Amino acid sequence: MAHQAHSYHMVDPSPWPIFGAAAALLTTSGLIMWFHYNSSQLLILGLLSMILVMLQWWRDIVRESTFQGHHTPTVQKGLRYGMILFITSEAFFFLGFFWAFFHSSLVPTPELGSQWPPMGIKPLNPLEVPLLNTAILLASGVTVTWAHHSITEGNRKQATHALTLTILLGFYFTALQAMEYYEAPFSIADGVYGATFFVATGFHGLHVIIGSSFLSVCLLRLIKFHFTPSHHFGFEAAAWYWHFVDVIWLFLYMTIYWWGS
Amino acid sequence: QGLKPIVSTESPALIFGTTAKLASDLPATDSFLGKNKVPDLQKLFQRADGLPVHLKRGVPDKLLYRTTMALTIGGTIYCLVALYMASQPRNQ
Repeated sequence: MAHQAHSYHMVDPSPWPIFGAAAALLTTSGLIMWFHYNSSQLLILGLLSMILVMLQWWRDIVRESTFQGHHTPTVQKGLRYGMILFITSEAFFFLGFFWAFFHSSLVPTPELGSQWPPMGIKPLNPLEVPLLNTAILLASGVTVTWAHHSITEGNRKQATHALTLTILLGFYFTALQAMEYYEAPFSIADGVYGATFFVATGFHGLHVIIGSSFLSVCLLRLIKFHFTPSHHFGFEAAAWYWHFVDVIWLFLYMTIYWWGS
Repeated sequence: QGLKPIVSTESPALIFGTTAKLASDLPATDSFLGKNKVPDLQKLFQRADGLPVHLKRGVPDKLLYRTTMALTIGGTIYCLVALYMASQPRNQ
């Protein structure tokens, strides 16, 4: 039987890329049907197929790596590059929203009362819940690092505890933010202040949820013995993503919450 | 001579023999949250049955795959119909 003479991974033929593309088509068209024709069937179909594709594609990657051993150091290097590039692209995504915030807040127009925060806007006190949220995310950065060290030291119980704590802190942040959103005296429709605030913090919150989900999958895999002290890139990728989410929050806090009040 | 079984009854040599070593690096000191099933899964997924990885587990994989295909392909047809109808001019 012929074996490959290189250390790369030639994947089995897979239906997930094209099904994923179809799911994207359904989701975007579904948004149109929902916005303009008040019909949500296509959107639901799109989101459902997107979730199914994501679950199966990532399940297959776990199979290819942990169970079939295809993730050689060369392959892992490629995955590291990939994750770094992805996170960089996300950084640029947020950069756009920060640009929009500074565009409007550095030179407030007469319509806003030539001031920032605009006339009539009561901003949230940065020393109340937002400060607590900052502490929560910083603490979660510590616990995820603790989890990483526990994994490299082969301490399964401690790693499980640390990762669980990280995820709980993530949920705590999300719950507090949701409460803040509900109680806020201004809405997304309240001029450019509301728009920049809720779009920037809203996308951040979505990324917290994505990061928490990624970490939860890692916790499940940790419990199922998928990670070894020397090979646990899935966890590292989740930890990088989580630190990125934390850094974005720190920028949000310093600019929109603190300077912007 | 008797019928030879389709799948060899003796477990085939693992293609990546070292993978079994990786999972047992962790000390299996206590049964804290379950038993290590990774070596068994490694054997399962390295069976030389010619199946692609997304169908390797058999029936549950096939069911999920067919459900996803039905939703995406059916949805795409529905989508094209809906977009065709939406692109028709509305007579006042």
